[in-house]
Amino acid sequence: MEVLLNTGRTVDQGVSMERGKTSQEYFEKVAVAFLHPEDAKELGVGEGQAVRLTTEFGSVVLRCSLGNTERGSVFVPMGPWANALTSALTEGTGMPSLKGLRAKIEAVPGGKPTTLEELLRSWRGRSGSA
Amino acid sequence: MVLRRGVVCPFCGCLCDDLEVEVEDGRIVSTKNACPVSRSKFLSHAEDRARPMVGGREVSVEEAIEEAARILREADFPLIYGLSSTESDAQRMAVRLAELTGASLDNTSSTCHGPTVLAAQECGAVKCTLGEVKNRADLIVFWGCNPAEAHIRHPIRYSITPAGMYRQGKKERFVVHVDVRETRTSKMVNQFVKVQMGRDYELLSALRAAVRGYEVKEAAGVPGEVIKGLAERMKGCRFGIIFFGMGLTMSRGKNLNIDAALRLVRDLNEHTKFLIMPMRGHFNVSGANEVLTWLTGYPFALNFSRGYPVYNPGEFSAVDLLSREECDAALILASDPAAHFPAAAVRHLASIPTVVIDPKVSLTSKLARVVIPSAIAGIECEGTAYRMDGVPLRLKRIVDSPYLPDREILERIIERVGG
Ligand code: SF4
Repeated sequence: MEVLLNTGRTVDQGVSMERGKTSQEYFEKVAVAFLHPEDAKELGVGEGQAVRLTTEFGSVVLRCSLGNTERGSVFVPMGPWANALTSALTEGTGMPSLKGLRAKIEAVPGGKPTTLEELLRSWRGRSGSA
Repeated sequence: MVLRRGVVCPFCGCLCDDLEVEVEDGRIVSTKNACPVSRSKFLSHAEDRARPMVGGREVSVEEAIEEAARILREADFPLIYGLSSTESDAQRMAVRLAELTGASLDNTSSTCHGPTVLAAQECGAVKCTLGEVKNRADLIVFWGCNPAEAHIRHPIRYSITPAGMYRQGKKERFVVHVDVRETRTSKMVNQFVKVQMGRDYELLSALRAAVRGYEVKEAAGVPGEVIKGLAERMKGCRFGIIFFGMGLTMSRGKNLNIDAALRLVRDLNEHTKFLIMPMRGHFNVSGANEVLTWLTGYPFALNFSRGYPVYNPGEFSAVDLLSREECDAALILASDPAAHFPAAAVRHLASIPTVVIDPKVSLTSKLARVVIPSAIAGIECEGTAYRMDGVPLRLKRIVDSPYLPDREILERIIERVGG
């Protein structure tokens, strides 16, 4: 299903970030895709099940959560999972494109959200110099 | 038990200065007036702290500082980035270090309100303080922002329910929320206007047309009647303000969206008093813009490789420098780009020698060659921070800390780089 991807702050993201970005709580609150219940139904996913979001710039698996968005759009709290999908093009402003990106969403039956370790590995992938 | 009153919260750009913090045996045990995020920051301040590291090995702070200085000395085109979650003396030191090493210098505003700065440089902005809003505003418009989740006490302290000098509570204010989706903020307001994603510019332009008396039809999914009604309401208020956030700066149009909003406000001033204010995120991101501007003339995205500051967002902004793989070393101060930058930029950051100065373990610290732990400004060391309206406030030291403040770490690096 084609959707528009929106990213931003949430209370849970802020609170869990202060507990620590490597905490389980942060993972649970931020590796999440908020979907409209009708869209979720169409995809055949329920609360807590895995969905894969893919843009031109990357792809991650997230936990689906129902309710907090419009039909045809997906909201992902700001953080490393959202940014695996966003564009680094700034059009001369310095500001990357973090909202309103075209994305594809699909169900991943029995799948698990991408872990922080997996993200770190993908960033280090090219060099391993750190 | 010691009770500290009048504590300034070092989390978001509201810089609430009415917190009460209880300290027992050198530990913070409770907070009053703090929002959930702030409470989490105070009560979890001792958790998940960074350790001094070089190449994944724990070392002394001195050794980490020495290695940081070596990296910056040897780099041809280093980047110094972050600055927004620390106090202004540390920001001042970061400018000095950038000048000394011929670095590019950018702060987090390039990925939050950089577009706001660009637009304001084009056409100016009509500004005021939050105190004036609290005391006088009778029309408040939140556009592309979600204070209920991101600036949690803004509505009660400044914009929706406070008892101001001339405006009391919600009944004497009309509050509008314009956004792409209904959020917790929408539930606090009198009118919610849903704009289609990426089409704010269109709606702002239609509003400008309506304010000028032109006939308007549906724009960005908003019926013409609603646009006309809002334009009339804006013209008819005594003191109106637009608070705006990432919904405008990050979506399609970026600085052009802000330009349209600033011009709408300018037009409205032919009819009434109308103002506009960005909802600044990090507690001292305003300060980062102020300090860089008073020291270099430019608020962000600048470069010192010619020996004097050159300003060019899109070229010297961190996301651009990293995703184009131009910088060959980086020093990240009080920010976590690995958590908040697009992956293409993060990958380059992981491939170059990076120094992180941060109180906490951050995702960037996990990729960095050097990690230097620091004291948390506003909890473990004092300093100055600028509120979202540009008012500077003094941060307090609430508890003692074994960690050095950011400014001292930077001073020591500067000494070793040869300043
Ligand atoms: S609203 Fe912002 S400044 Fe005020 S207590 Fe919450 S996080 Fe701190």
